[in-house]
Amino acid sequence: MSTDLTTGSGADRAATGAPGRDPEGPDARRAARREGWSRRLPLLPALIFTILVTQIPFAMTIWYSLRSWNLLRPDGETFVWFRNFVDIFMDSTFRGAALNSIIITLGCVFAALILGTLFAILLDREFLGRGVVRTLLITPFLIMPAATSMLWSVSLLNPSFGLLNWVIGLFGAGPIDFTSQMPLFSVIMALVWQWTPFMMLLILAGLQAQPKDVLEAAALDGAGWGKTFLFVTLPQLRRYIELSVLLGAIYVVNTFDQIYLMTAGGPGTASANLPFYIYQRAFLGFDVGQAAAMGVVTVIATIIIATFALRLIFRSFDTKD
Amino acid sequence: MSTVTQEVPAPPGRAPQISKAPHVRAGRRAQPARTLHGAAGVAAVVLIGVYCLAPFYWMLVSSLRRSGDIFDTTLLPSVFSVESYVKVFSGSSDFAHALVNSLIVAATTTALALVFAIFAAYAISRLNFRFKNVILAVIIATSMFPGISVVVPLLRLFSDIGWINTYQAMIVPSLSFAIPLAVYILTTFMKQLPFDLEEAAMMDGATKWQAFRKILLPLAAPGIFTTAILTFIQSWNEFIIALSMVNDPAVQTATVAISKFTGASEFQAPYGEQMAAGVIVTIPLVIMILIFQRRIVEGLTSGATK
Repeated sequence: MSTDLTTGSGADRAATGAPGRDPEGPDARRAARREGWSRRLPLLPALIFTILVTQIPFAMTIWYSLRSWNLLRPDGETFVWFRNFVDIFMDSTFRGAALNSIIITLGCVFAALILGTLFAILLDREFLGRGVVRTLLITPFLIMPAATSMLWSVSLLNPSFGLLNWVIGLFGAGPIDFTSQMPLFSVIMALVWQWTPFMMLLILAGLQAQPKDVLEAAALDGAGWGKTFLFVTLPQLRRYIELSVLLGAIYVVNTFDQIYLMTAGGPGTASANLPFYIYQRAFLGFDVGQAAAMGVVTVIATIIIATFALRLIFRSFDTKD
Repeated sequence: MSTVTQEVPAPPGRAPQISKAPHVRAGRRAQPARTLHGAAGVAAVVLIGVYCLAPFYWMLVSSLRRSGDIFDTTLLPSVFSVESYVKVFSGSSDFAHALVNSLIVAATTTALALVFAIFAAYAISRLNFRFKNVILAVIIATSMFPGISVVVPLLRLFSDIGWINTYQAMIVPSLSFAIPLAVYILTTFMKQLPFDLEEAAMMDGATKWQAFRKILLPLAAPGIFTTAILTFIQSWNEFIIALSMVNDPAVQTATVAISKFTGASEFQAPYGEQMAAGVIVTIPLVIMILIFQRRIVEGLTSGATK
C-alpha cells in the first residue's frame, strides 16, 4: 500500500517540497522517518483507544479461558490449560449455537440484501415525496432492537392476536406459535426486517452515485434496462454491496438483543447463538472460564471471516483510485 | 451531460430555466426509465411502505389501546387511550430518567468518537505512510469483535475500579465499537472527496492543518453528519453493555428499561407499556432524520457524485 502513490503523494510533495520516498542520504532518511511519524500522529489516539478498550479485555479473556473459574464452585481458580476448549467442543449446545450463528447471519444478510436491492431500484426514481418516503422506510433500522424484539415477539408473532397470524389466517392457515415452533425463523424475520432498510440505503446511495453519462451511453447503444443493470449498474454497485454485506454481517453475527428478548435462546437452546450462549454461561451458569473460551473461539472465527471481508474492502479501495 | 436529445418533457415550472442553462439539470431528469409511472410503480412503493412501516404502525396502535383491548386486532384502537404512556412515565418504571441516561451516554459517545475518528480518517485517506492498511485493518477488525467477549473481563475490571453503575462504564466500551465504525465510514467518504481544492490551497501557501480545517472539514461535513447519526443510533440502541454494567435503575438506559418493564401483576405482561416505550424512543430519531434527511442523503451520496 505504501506504493499507492495517487493523490496523497502529490500533496505531500507539494507540502514538503521533497519527494520523501527517494531519500538521498541518512539525513533525508531520518527526515522522512520523522515526516512519516508526523503523518501517523492523527491516527494514534483512535488506534490506542480502540486497542486499549478491546485488545486488553480480549487478552484478559484469553487468560480467563485457560483457567477453571466457576463462581459456583468454591475451589477457586486454577490453571487448566486447554481443558475449557476441549469442554466446549464436547458441548453439543455450543456446537448448536455456532451453527445457529452461521444460519442467522447468512440468512439475514442475504435476504436483507436482496430485498434491500429490490427496494432501492424501485425507489431510485423521481416521484412526489420521494425523500419523505425514503426516510420513513429507514424507520425499522432506527428503532431500538430492544423495542423491535418486543414488537415482533408480541404484536406480530403472538399466536392469538399477532398481526402475522391474523394475515395468514386470512389465507386459511392455522395460527402458528412462531417464537416456540420456529424460533430461528422468527429471529431471522425480525432481523431481516430491521436490516433491509440499511441495505436499501447503501445500495440506493450506490445507484445514485452512478455517473449519469455512462447510463446514457448504454441507453444510446441500445441496451435495455435489464442489460444496463446487469453490465453497467451491478459492477458499479459492487463496492456498495460489499460494504453492506460486510457491515451487516459484523452486526448480525453479534446479535444478542433479539435472541435475549424474543426467544431467550429457547425453546431449550434451539435458537441460542454464540453471543447469547456466552452470556448464559457467564451470567447464569457463572462459568467464567468456559464463557471466556467460547469468546476466544468466536473471535477467532470472526477474524477468519473478517480477513476475507477486509481483503474485499481494500481491493475496492485500491481499484477506486 | 450532453444529451439534450433524451430530455423528457420538462415540468411546467422548469421550462423557463432550460433556455438559461440547458445542461444543468439534464442529467437527473433525462432518463425516461427512471421516472415512476403508472399504477405498478405506485403499488411497488406502497408495498415497500407496508413492509417497512406496518409493524411500526402496529406498535403505535397497540400503544394507544387501553390495557383491556391490548389483544385487539382492529386497525385503529376502539378507544384511543394514553393509559400506556401514563404508566410508562409513572411509578416504578421511571422511563423519563432512563431516556435522559440514554441521551447522556449516546451523545457523549458520539462526540468523542467523532473527534477520534475525524483525525484517523484524515490520516488514512490523505496521507501516505507505511503500515497504513495494517492500521486500518486493526481498527476495523476491533469493531468486529463480539461485544460479549469483552463484557466479562470489563465487568471485573470496572468493579475493581468502582465503575459499576456509572456512565463511563457504558461510554468507554461503546466508544471502542463506535470509533471503528466512524473511522470506516469517514475514510470511505473522505477518499471520495476531490483532492484538488486542498492541493490548490497548499500551493497557495496554506499549511496541511489549514487545508484540513478550512477545506476538507467543510467538504466532509455531510459525511461527518451521517457518521454522527449512525454512531448516535448505534450507542442509543446499545443493549448488552448497558445490561451488564449497570444494575442501578438510576443509571439504567432506555434499552434496558424497556426490557425490564413489569406488569401490574406477575401474569399480566406489560405489552402496552413496552409498545409505548418503543414509540417514545423511536419518534425523536424519526423526527431527527426527517429534519435532516436532505443532509443525510447528501452525506451518503455526495462523495461519489461530487
